[in-house]
Amino acid sequence: MADTDWPGCGKSLKGVILDMCGVLYDSGEGGGVAIPGSIEAVKKLKASDLQLRFCTNETQLNREAFVDKLKRLGFDISVSEVFSPAPAAVAVLKERGFRPHLLVYDGLLPEFDSVDKTNPNCVVIGDAAEKFTYQNLNEAFRVLIGLEKPVLFSLGGGRYYKEGDGLALDVGAYMKALEYACDLKAEVVGKPSPTFFQSVLNDMGLQPHEALMIGDDLVNDVGGAQNCGMKGVQVRTGKYRPSDERHSTVTADGTVDDLAQAVDMILKQRH
Amino acid sequence: MAGRRALKAVLIDLSGTLHIEDTAEKEIFTSLSAARSLVERKQLRPLLLLEDSALEDFTGIDTSEPNAVVIGLSPDHFNYQTLDQAFRMVLEGAPLIAIHKARYYKRADGLALGPGPFVAGLEFAADCRATVVGKPEKRFFTQALSDLGCSPTEAVMIGDDARDDVGGAQNAGMLGILVRTGKYREGDEDKINPPPHLTCDSFPEAVAHILKKLL
Repeated sequence: MADTDWPGCGKSLKGVILDMCGVLYDSGEGGGVAIPGSIEAVKKLKASDLQLRFCTNETQLNREAFVDKLKRLGFDISVSEVFSPAPAAVAVLKERGFRPHLLVYDGLLPEFDSVDKTNPNCVVIGDAAEKFTYQNLNEAFRVLIGLEKPVLFSLGGGRYYKEGDGLALDVGAYMKALEYACDLKAEVVGKPSPTFFQSVLNDMGLQPHEALMIGDDLVNDVGGAQNCGMKGVQVRTGKYRPSDERHSTVTADGTVDDLAQAVDMILKQRH
Repeated sequence: MAGRRALKAVLIDLSGTLHIEDTAEKEIFTSLSAARSLVERKQLRPLLLLEDSALEDFTGIDTSEPNAVVIGLSPDHFNYQTLDQAFRMVLEGAPLIAIHKARYYKRADGLALGPGPFVAGLEFAADCRATVVGKPEKRFFTQALSDLGCSPTEAVMIGDDARDDVGGAQNAGMLGILVRTGKYREGDEDKINPPPHLTCDSFPEAVAHILKKLL
């Protein structure tokens, strides 16, 4: 059934979810640089009858600052369209009575302003970049090892991302480090957690099969989306590596050069 | 205990068992020299993420344009910059050699992360397996024993790390005695299967037991 495969599925789609880093822009000096064709691609999607949301595991900035950054790069985007792990984590912490010890980048701290951080009974770890010092990791470790029931929330579980002209370790590596040290399993808030994707779908009022995820991370974007019943397409920008196309467990529904190509292919199906 | 011969050797973990360190954990000589032998055998040029005192064991090894990563206990190097450098190398195929994978150790000011967590993080990120040279690798214990000229069934290991000292030793065919000093935490003895041959309060008790029951 050609219409249910990529790109034929573009015809019956009702919504598109875009990963941000590696799809819209690349991280790097001075805040980053827009990926060629992506600004225009977002405009085209907004002009179409497709619903659009942005789904990121970015945890170095709070949403407002992050959206401002993208606007400065030229993107048409607003906070209400962006789903990131920190607000989702705050909701979980409050719901379940957790008071966190935070190991996150300074830029993300405002997201946690309304959370009680006294006498921590869990640790929340995000992409802390240069705050991932031995001392800070040790402090987080000591909080966990001192708890009768250690609980670790990880904002995303990615292995690496593109930074400048190389790859940098993502929060997942540090999450694994603390998991190993404390003999526990972290709870991932953000991609690829099904709860996270579901919250985006709920906001769009769509069923999984009516939505498509486009991302550069084969496992967390594409695999995570497929796991929820969505289609997932990988772009060859950002952290993409040729070996992704021979992955042992995840096969993307489609692989395209970049967001611009993906959007053109989708919109062509709808004319 | 069928098949056990008379005791001929006792292996003793140092840090946390004989004394509590406030500086970097000193490795048993065998695992550092074993790492060096491995590097020499494979003609590797290592990026050495090691404490200064451990670097001495690698004098004479070419470390220019590194094509391998050797990682031991090295708080100074366990920051995102050096780890990124190690990650990029390993992702491109450089072998990752771990002196050992201890989860944590006891410092004067409390428990502190060992190299294990950072090795685990790199393994996850680069989707690779490190070659672990030290405890709890079986080969580490058997090599130490072959230096002493005795077999595992003639040996006992005393240590404060249930999994890496005692579990590793028992897995190699030795008896293991867990001491409740150093990094030991209540319930550690339940973390390995089979459980330690004996769990006792400290090194002197362990020795008393050996002298009384195992000779």
